[in-house]
Amino acid sequence: MGFKKEWETSLFEEHCLNLFPKLSSDFIGLALQNDDGPDVSWRYAAGNQNEKYKRISVRYGKGIAGKVISTGRPMTIMDFPHHITGRALEYPIMLAENLRYAFAVPIHINEMPKGVFLIGNRTEKPVAEMDKDIIQKAAHMLEREFGSSNKKSV
Amino acid sequence: MTTQPENQKVSSYIIQSQEQEIKRIALELHEGVGQSLYSLFTGLQFIEKAVKEPEMKSYMGNMTNIMEKTIQEIRLLSVELHPPTLTTLGIVPAVKSYLKLYTSTYGIEVTVDHCGDEVPLTERENIALFRVCQEALVNIARYADTSSASVIFIWDKDLLSITIKDSGKGFDVEAGMEKSCGLAAMKERMKLIGGKCSIASNTGEGTAIEVLLPL
Repeated sequence: MGFKKEWETSLFEEHCLNLFPKLSSDFIGLALQNDDGPDVSWRYAAGNQNEKYKRISVRYGKGIAGKVISTGRPMTIMDFPHHITGRALEYPIMLAENLRYAFAVPIHINEMPKGVFLIGNRTEKPVAEMDKDIIQKAAHMLEREFGSSNKKSV
Repeated sequence: MTTQPENQKVSSYIIQSQEQEIKRIALELHEGVGQSLYSLFTGLQFIEKAVKEPEMKSYMGNMTNIMEKTIQEIRLLSVELHPPTLTTLGIVPAVKSYLKLYTSTYGIEVTVDHCGDEVPLTERENIALFRVCQEALVNIARYADTSSASVIFIWDKDLLSITIKDSGKGFDVEAGMEKSCGLAAMKERMKLIGGKCSIASNTGEGTAIEVLLPL
């Protein structure tokens, strides 16, 4: 368990945290499904304003992360809380981090979305297309790492 | 022209009908849809164990996983709509149960303090108090920009007082009352059960909502 946590942290540092200075975004976060059940929680973040993300469990089909997990597709939020599907309260990570713009991609493990990689901005600046490309590539790198680790453990 | 007591009667009737409908939907989700999905879930687990072909086994595993998440979401939705403990155990256990879901949804930690002996309330009073607490808490998640809050229950001989406090951004109460129907609805709900709701807040100094109900 301890080793897995360390391995995950090093993956996050290598593929996500190191990217952060290159991005023009204010926040990045990585949510992953827990080993012991269906819960998906925010494990790692950078540029966070508080520690709320650590206590948030992503609800299946709710908010940006929940929708990315349930659909397995990327999602963009523009000018939150305007132009969203459902109520603003269904977007906890946007509220917790005061984000106005966000882009999230799924992390597929064994062909199933088991995690979310999200970047966001607090100002009136939409997430840059270049940043979207960077995190999509990083998500694929994470998928490969998680996928190969799963094959090894099987 | 309608009179004031007549208006109150209409408001009370509308709120009660809505609450009955919400309770029915919550119960149906929990006991009906939830139970049927659980039967499907155990069936999928059974098939998954019986399947030998690795690819199909993995596919069945994924299906089981989605079903488990859906069952969990149905259960959470039901608690959010109308916690079952509200009818069976009363306002304090219902608020405590809701707070577990609240913290895992919004990441805001809420402490609960309890003083005095809890007195059984009518279902109508329990529901009104629960909705006011719920509204105050979701307002904290939406607007206060804080990581913690508190709920204090004080049971006196003839008065119940509930205070919901946060040390977040705060707001101008007068302007807030004009803009938000939620704050006015909290006051109205308390008025309909013979209680009172007062809101104290200043920009930058947090918010305290006090709910009083004569017992």
